[in-house]
Amino acid sequence: MLNRLSREGPPLATLLHRVADTPPDFLAEPRIGSAGLIHVDAVVGDLLASFGADATAPELQRFADKGPAARNALSVTLLLCWVLAEPWFASASPGKTALLQLLGDSALELAAATPARKFVDDPDRREELVRVALAALGCRPAGESEAQAEDRLTSLSSAERARVIEAARAAELRARQIREALRKKAAEESADKWTRE
Amino acid sequence: MIAETITDADRYPTLTESGRQMLRFLREHPNAPIYRNESGNRLSAADVERVRAFERDVLAATVGWRPGEQPSWIGEFITKCYAEVPFYRRLGGAPPRLVDVPTISRADLGRDIAQFVPDSAPVERLINFRTSGTTGHPLLLASHPVVAASYLAFHKRALRRFGIELQHGRGQVGVVLLGYQRECFTYVSVTPTMNDAGLAKINLHERDWRNADDRAKYLEALAPEVIAGDPISFAELLQIDSRVRPRALLCTSMALSEALRATLERQFGCPVLDLYSLNEAGPVAVFDPDAGGHVLLQHQMLVELLAPDGTPVPAGERGEITLTGGFNFCLPLLRYRTGDYASFGSRSGEPVLMGLAGRPPVRFRTMRGEWINNIEVTHALRRLPLAQFALHQMIDGKVRFRLEQSSGDETAVREALLALFGAGQLLQIERVHDFGEKIVQYTSDLPEATL
Repeated sequence: MLNRLSREGPPLATLLHRVADTPPDFLAEPRIGSAGLIHVDAVVGDLLASFGADATAPELQRFADKGPAARNALSVTLLLCWVLAEPWFASASPGKTALLQLLGDSALELAAATPARKFVDDPDRREELVRVALAALGCRPAGESEAQAEDRLTSLSSAERARVIEAARAAELRARQIREALRKKAAEESADKWTRE
Repeated sequence: MIAETITDADRYPTLTESGRQMLRFLREHPNAPIYRNESGNRLSAADVERVRAFERDVLAATVGWRPGEQPSWIGEFITKCYAEVPFYRRLGGAPPRLVDVPTISRADLGRDIAQFVPDSAPVERLINFRTSGTTGHPLLLASHPVVAASYLAFHKRALRRFGIELQHGRGQVGVVLLGYQRECFTYVSVTPTMNDAGLAKINLHERDWRNADDRAKYLEALAPEVIAGDPISFAELLQIDSRVRPRALLCTSMALSEALRATLERQFGCPVLDLYSLNEAGPVAVFDPDAGGHVLLQHQMLVELLAPDGTPVPAGERGEITLTGGFNFCLPLLRYRTGDYASFGSRSGEPVLMGLAGRPPVRFRTMRGEWINNIEVTHALRRLPLAQFALHQMIDGKVRFRLEQSSGDETAVREALLALFGAGQLLQIERVHDFGEKIVQYTSDLPEATL
């Protein structure tokens, strides 16, 4: 773990600006069935090819043919593709396994409870996105020590995790209250409609 | 567990003296049926004003879009749903285009209705609409007393197309809702937006009456301005010799045949409005002979006609009726696939649903030789946790019941169906691995099964 962020990457501010200026193509709807525009599997394939790492069809499959529930994760994958298209990363020659893990699993984790757009609009989430991308490739922002970079990422992620857990708890409580309210006798006996379906 | 105590003050918070007298008249009339249940409007004074204002909006509004167009309110509506509705919040940010919103069906609502109730819906005032589950998914839907009361706005809009403005008020009966089932939810109430005019939901089945002749006498005594029902209860209404003369009949739930409509219009001397109405969305459209199809009633509801892959069908082709919007603020619909089909026509620039394939009425013959409504099968099985099922009666009277592989207790199903159809009924129960997206729940080979 200590050596995880052993390599110094570009300045944090460069990547934060890059995310804030994400072009519309990388914010567009991922193609899912007949909906959406951007074929995320093709974008991932092109990115990996630009790093000299050709992805196989099965490796790209996880970024295609998804149901609506995958939409947010695919949107985060697109954002990460935009971050990784910063010229510095090409010089870093990241490995294919680490890239696929970042674009697949890490995107899924980030997207679990945060809308993709928030990683662009919200300063803390923007920083989290950038730091997760750097860390996945064993890098830290320029000018930071490994410990500083680790601490900052942990603090951003744990605050977000706490928020997500609290939101999930509140959502489950409300869902239970709704289900209970609908089962009450009063709910049953008060549908005073002029016609019944 | 403490039993809930519900009083008339809960049921009718704004009840006036004339409303009180109306309830007494409806309940205590010498020819009154045996009322099995109690229910009420639950409207506060503020609610009543809100419903009245909504009625004015509905009557003044136009549908305001053409097939393939998006009305101006759609963008804000999508954003609100993605912010406030748990199901959509999990999908990330709101997409700017409606076509990028995934479609949902009854199966999605059935899995957990709470996921579709927005954060802004007041839990303490929720009421439920229970659906009969024609497509095989019985549902408990979230609603609100204001939503239930708002149905009338669309009925008035539909009636206006036929030149009818409701006139009843204090001391009169506005509507009688008819059922014809062995077991039926029956009650009396008042409509506060019509100055506490009476509302009675009655069952024409003889077992709910002390004397079968009372049915005609009671209806004549009530003299409702409107009678609402479905083809099966209206067919029974034709059988009882009643001189009741409503100004209109409102027919919902099932497709109304041309023959039955003509007979009803002749018998009662008034128009029969064939409403396309769903528990999930309320009254969506009414059949207008001049338009040759069903004209839309809701100005804040967009209808798309979709192919199985979720894309809109080409102009003039039949597609699945898919709804966005609506007036139930406890259950906003985003691309809700109804399981019903139509093509788009046009009348004076407004979209018309042509060749609407509604939910066909089906009757089943019991061992006693009587005909029962498919709703009774639904009711008989209501307490059983069946995810999906279908019932078919063969030409020899034998009944085949199919249910999903993983749900339900076959013995309990058998007992419930034999209690309904009578001892000795030939019954075959099959397990089905997958019904697919759309099943026709009730079917029969008997020619008399459809009216």
